[in-house]
Amino acid sequence: MDMIANWLGNSPDFAVPFALAALGLILTERAGVLALGAEGLMLVGALAAIGAQLSFSTPMISLIMAMLAASVVSLLFALMVLVMRINQVIAGLALVFFCQGLTGLLGTLLEWTNHPVTGLGAVALWPLSELPLIGKVFVQNPLVYLTPLIFVGVVWFLYRSHAGLRLRAVGENPQAADAAGISVLGYRLAAILAGAALIGLAGGYISVLSTKMWIADMTGGRGWIAVSLVIFARWSPWRALAGAVLFGCIEALIPQLASTGIRLPQYFVLMTPYAVTLLVMIWVAMAKGGVSAGSGSQPGALGEAFIREERR
Amino acid sequence: MTEVILQSPADKPARRQPLLARRYALEIRQQLAWYWQALIIALALLMGLGISAAILVGAGVPAEELLNEFVVLTLLDPQNFKAVLFQAAPMILVGLAGCMAFRARFWNLGLEGQMIWGGIGATAISLFEVGPPSIRLPLMLAAAVICGMLWTLAPVLLKLRLKVNEIISTLMLNYIAANFLLHLLYGSWKDPRDNFPYSPAFRGFERLPDVFDGYNAAIVLAIIVTLFALWFIGISRAGLYLRFVDANPRVADAVGVPVRKMIIGTVLLSGALAGIAGFIVTAGQEGRLTQSFYQGYGFSGILIAFLARNNPLAATIVALLVALLFVAGRSLQVFYQIPFSMVQLIQAILVICVASSDFFIRHRMRLIQRGEQ
Repeated sequence: MDMIANWLGNSPDFAVPFALAALGLILTERAGVLALGAEGLMLVGALAAIGAQLSFSTPMISLIMAMLAASVVSLLFALMVLVMRINQVIAGLALVFFCQGLTGLLGTLLEWTNHPVTGLGAVALWPLSELPLIGKVFVQNPLVYLTPLIFVGVVWFLYRSHAGLRLRAVGENPQAADAAGISVLGYRLAAILAGAALIGLAGGYISVLSTKMWIADMTGGRGWIAVSLVIFARWSPWRALAGAVLFGCIEALIPQLASTGIRLPQYFVLMTPYAVTLLVMIWVAMAKGGVSAGSGSQPGALGEAFIREERR
Repeated sequence: MTEVILQSPADKPARRQPLLARRYALEIRQQLAWYWQALIIALALLMGLGISAAILVGAGVPAEELLNEFVVLTLLDPQNFKAVLFQAAPMILVGLAGCMAFRARFWNLGLEGQMIWGGIGATAISLFEVGPPSIRLPLMLAAAVICGMLWTLAPVLLKLRLKVNEIISTLMLNYIAANFLLHLLYGSWKDPRDNFPYSPAFRGFERLPDVFDGYNAAIVLAIIVTLFALWFIGISRAGLYLRFVDANPRVADAVGVPVRKMIIGTVLLSGALAGIAGFIVTAGQEGRLTQSFYQGYGFSGILIAFLARNNPLAATIVALLVALLFVAGRSLQVFYQIPFSMVQLIQAILVICVASSDFFIRHRMRLIQRGEQ
């Protein structure tokens, strides 16, 4: 009983990075830009947040720095895919490798590795936190409570605002959007920057609020899991949130299992998030009956460069 | 454009427009001569190297030492040159593995996982003493090939049958393989002699020998595999089919090319080559199965294939250069405490620069004259 209460209480902490990263990816990909660079941008956010935390020890500044740093680095990605029109798969992979190298280098040179920081204190939502069994779910750091609000904001923006409509139009059919006078590259740039900020925030959350230190490559594939979460959610924010909660519960289970004293092969337990991701991908593919992904709600122009000179 | 010049009288020949008022149009080039293409790529590489050099200097390497570290000490010193060649052997293998997969239009990001399994396969043969000593080494090689192939089978079948994105599936399998490796090394395969998390050292006949004058058999193996890859892509019937599939899978299918079989076979070959790379690192360099023997090769393999435009011969040359970078990077680590991530950063910068050069090959800027739309 206690174990289940602890497990549920820890789950939001693991779910938030997935949720924020997936939301950032959805924002970018809705504008038709295939964002494979999440893993790298999360690392940049994580490192920037730790750096700011070690210098100023104000978590709010650290998280904002994480968002800014990821946005700045994503300018490089924007340059590659919007101006240079590099294949978006290659650009995304190059961005991940670039960020892994950069953060590994800076983390060591600036001596930010393995320095523990104090994160944000937990805030209890009073009557809810007294509930039996699920009470601990409502004792979390403020960003956990903020995450659903961020989701509401982004969903409102995407589906209820003019700018959101234009952004989705750019992702569905850039030629038509261009003909209607919408700046395709402008919207894509904004989507890349805003998406990167959310992904960077996810990284900052992991380093400053969750792990509370920097270790090279500390995101451990969470960015890639977020990429597959978006496919699983078929580019819908609410489904992505549900998926993130699922993955948060799975990840939170790992330390719980270790603490119960049940002798499980440790490294097989550590495999579970990756294995589950793979299974989820297979399940999504089976559910679609093997039809191509285009039949879902994937943005129509996802991964295609917009080249006006080649107007069709 | 010619009309504009004709209309303008002789009193103001080619009046220059003010800089800020100039407008440029981007045009798609039809075709660019190969030497211009080569020049643009060379300039891009030069720019990448310049940025990398600036970062290295910024990280604390004296500028005058750069040439020494990267060229003089690696290429001109015979001992270090052997080290570069030795390092190049697994690089060539992963580079060729990347070429094969990309030729089948398959994003094989699972090279590291396949390498891990190649290493595990080879080590299993050594650990359980399969076969007589005289054929132990070939058996280890065969086990590495089979294990590498098997680890590739699931993603390629999933892609062809269910359209599961192979980027995600191969990456996830990397993490799974890495955890399985740790499971073995911290568990039953731990060296009983000192209890360190690596496998017991291979015996003398289980290690790749030096063939002549200090040059390791790994290099010979890499050359043989390169020749095989050249034959496979350039001469064999499969290579011809593959070019069909790469150009247009649907047309290839319509004219009777066994598209699925070709893709599965080529991707499995890619996995097998990555497995051999794992065998070379374990049986050649490390002499045992270690925790992190595979690290950095997955990215390098993709980089080599990309820079070489999936050409096996070019991949061999690029692999040599990447090996040089690795050897120099290790020396920088020792002498200047530069973390090894620097090597990855330099590789990423080079990829970005060369990928960007494609833009200048395919487009040109044209100044828009006044009065012209």
